[in-house]
Amino acid sequence: MTDCTNGEMRDLLPDLLHGRLEAAERAEVESHLRSCEDCREELELLRNMRSALRRAPAVDVDSVVAGITPYRAPLERVPSRSWGGWRVAAAVTLLAAGGTSVVVARHEGPAREDSARVVALKTSDSVLGPAQGQAAPAQAATTTGSPTVSAAAPRELALAGGTIGDLDDKELSTLIDDIGSLDAVTPVDVDNGAAAGPIAPTSPSGTNN
Amino acid sequence: MTHPVLSDDPTDLELVARWKRGDQRAATQLVERHADAVARFVATVGERVDVDDVVQDTFARAFASLDSFRGDSSLRTWLFTIARRLVLDRRRSERRRGGGTRMHMEVQDADAVTEYDALDAVVADETERRMREAVARLTPTQREVFTLRVAEGLSYKEIAEAVDTTEGAARVHYHNAMRAVKEFLDD
Repeated sequence: MTDCTNGEMRDLLPDLLHGRLEAAERAEVESHLRSCEDCREELELLRNMRSALRRAPAVDVDSVVAGITPYRAPLERVPSRSWGGWRVAAAVTLLAAGGTSVVVARHEGPAREDSARVVALKTSDSVLGPAQGQAAPAQAATTTGSPTVSAAAPRELALAGGTIGDLDDKELSTLIDDIGSLDAVTPVDVDNGAAAGPIAPTSPSGTNN
Repeated sequence: MTHPVLSDDPTDLELVARWKRGDQRAATQLVERHADAVARFVATVGERVDVDDVVQDTFARAFASLDSFRGDSSLRTWLFTIARRLVLDRRRSERRRGGGTRMHMEVQDADAVTEYDALDAVVADETERRMREAVARLTPTQREVFTLRVAEGLSYKEIAEAVDTTEGAARVHYHNAMRAVKEFLDD
């Protein structure tokens, strides 16, 4: 028994056997069969094979059906909230907040410099005196309003609204007074708001009322 | 509550829907429709397995998980898939128990089967007996593909779904099986 060289036709023989071909395709295969003895033999083999393979042991339908449990609709599943989900949400929030900060910083950075024209006046020890045993923060305080000096202020003054040369006499005088007042300020622990040293007079009982 | 008009020859999906609504007769119809084909397949590919047991288990499992059946393939193809897995599970179990010298075939193609399967006792015709012997000598995968193609008329696409392979591989298995069958019958 030899094989037909037309593989496409051979592939369709089982479909022809089971009546699964469209009319046009079926006509094409039947036309080929008329001229191809190999395919006729193979189709005959397929018929015999199907007949042999379709023998099956009898199935007891009742016993099979008896083994089928009645249908139960699946319970609606409540989405579980796992820690994994919270972690993801927290990570996304942090990333969003961080990204926003970067964007704002990039957006406002140059503009603030331009508009506020921050001028950091580094006061030297000769002006402000020694740091009273505390290291001075290196950062410059910035403000968009009038210059303010607080107890927590670093030993750098920031002036807004222009350079020092833009100040008139009155403003310059105020600034000098503010600088002078710095020596009278005792450093404050800004973390807890408590004075690191005596700022105001305390009552004799040791309580601040 | 309205009921759909029932046709004389409901589709598988219609019967499934009826069974889900509590109609046990729909389950009976589905079993009657497909049990013989599943039994044929199991008897051919599952040598030395209890065909009744596998068929019953196949339907029990299929009905228990019908919610996962979306109808992408035919119900019969899906049943073949379940039956095949059950046959493979039984082979594995038997191998773990150390039973049978032919259990080495397992999932992978291996030595051809050299013995008749469970149906030989009921096959009286000599031609049919030769045919069945030829198929029994195929490798397990060839036998699965050949049986589904020739006995059940499944397309290569459906066979690929049933035996968890590709259409191209199913086609190759089929033609290799056909060549082997011809060689056996020519001897």
